[in-house]
Amino acid sequence: MSRSYLFIPGDVPRMLQNLDVFDADAVIIDFEDSVADHNKDEARQLTAAFLKRYTFHRPKLYIRINSTDDLAHCKKDLASIKDLPIAGIVFPKMNVERLKILESLWAKPIDILGILETPDVFFEVLSLAKNPHVKGFLLGAEDLTKALNIDRSQDGKELLFARSQMIFAAASTNIEAIDTPFTDVLNEAGLIEDIKQATALGCTAKASIHPNHVAFINNAFTPSQEAIKASKRIIAKSEQTQSMRFSLDGKMIDKPVIERARKLLKRAKDYGVL
Amino acid sequence: MKTIVVGSLESSDCLITLQPNENTEINIESTVFAMYGEQIQKVLTDTLKAHNIENIHVLCQDKGALDYTIEARLITAIKRFKEAKDES
Repeated sequence: MSRSYLFIPGDVPRMLQNLDVFDADAVIIDFEDSVADHNKDEARQLTAAFLKRYTFHRPKLYIRINSTDDLAHCKKDLASIKDLPIAGIVFPKMNVERLKILESLWAKPIDILGILETPDVFFEVLSLAKNPHVKGFLLGAEDLTKALNIDRSQDGKELLFARSQMIFAAASTNIEAIDTPFTDVLNEAGLIEDIKQATALGCTAKASIHPNHVAFINNAFTPSQEAIKASKRIIAKSEQTQSMRFSLDGKMIDKPVIERARKLLKRAKDYGVL
Repeated sequence: MKTIVVGSLESSDCLITLQPNENTEINIESTVFAMYGEQIQKVLTDTLKAHNIENIHVLCQDKGALDYTIEARLITAIKRFKEAKDES
């Protein structure tokens, strides 16, 4: 599991060389929107050379390829990444039809984080979540709101349906639900509010387009010491009483609460705060 | 045939310019030429050789690029050069 996914352009050596200093759990090297059409060959060549020369245990590395709508670039992207040590690809504009095209193009299967950014995909997310190669969804709010012809608001109410659909489908097959990047880069209060909504609804992680957002995201998706302490008490009492149903501080504790406490402690351990 | 330009003048990058020439010629402009000029020359020469490229003028304007960047930028330039040659 990763908390933060940081996008960096694939054609900028300075960003590639620093990908392990931003503290993101995962980095998405971009061949798509942040790389100009005439520079895509540069991004492919540079990224391949970089990843063949240097190895990383952390962060997890993904490459955002071009959509199958841009077939020529998509094919070249797939050819250039096939032997690279990456965790998977980030697939723009994923829907059932485009995923079929992608699967017909690749030389060997690869793990996919699919970007949900077209209105139609929110009616087929459950089917996509069941695909064994799809390991997560990433909400693409900029393209989605563009398609809906609406503006993104500070409170994000226009994204409630999309976020919820993504989260429910991802949870049904236990894959990642990664929230959309917050694009108002200098608006720290807005970022914090946006992250709060993502965590409250059930996103498992958040993407970002600016390294300065990573610490905020990691912090928000890491269990707090207060939550860890409460979970430890629940587990301790469960073990002590050998029971899956008891009262603690006047609150009824039963199996789902105990399991949630176990999951929180596992996350805390994974993120090095336990 | 048109001049091929790849890369940038941003820090940690280099700008490679390729032009057809009567012989193979390499020019390097780098703020760290005294320390790394020889190494940059070697990367450029080896890459040209590996791709069987001769009779070309290479200008490498280096802004502190590592070897992998110089090599990748030159390979991209060579690919574009070959494509342009095929088209002309």
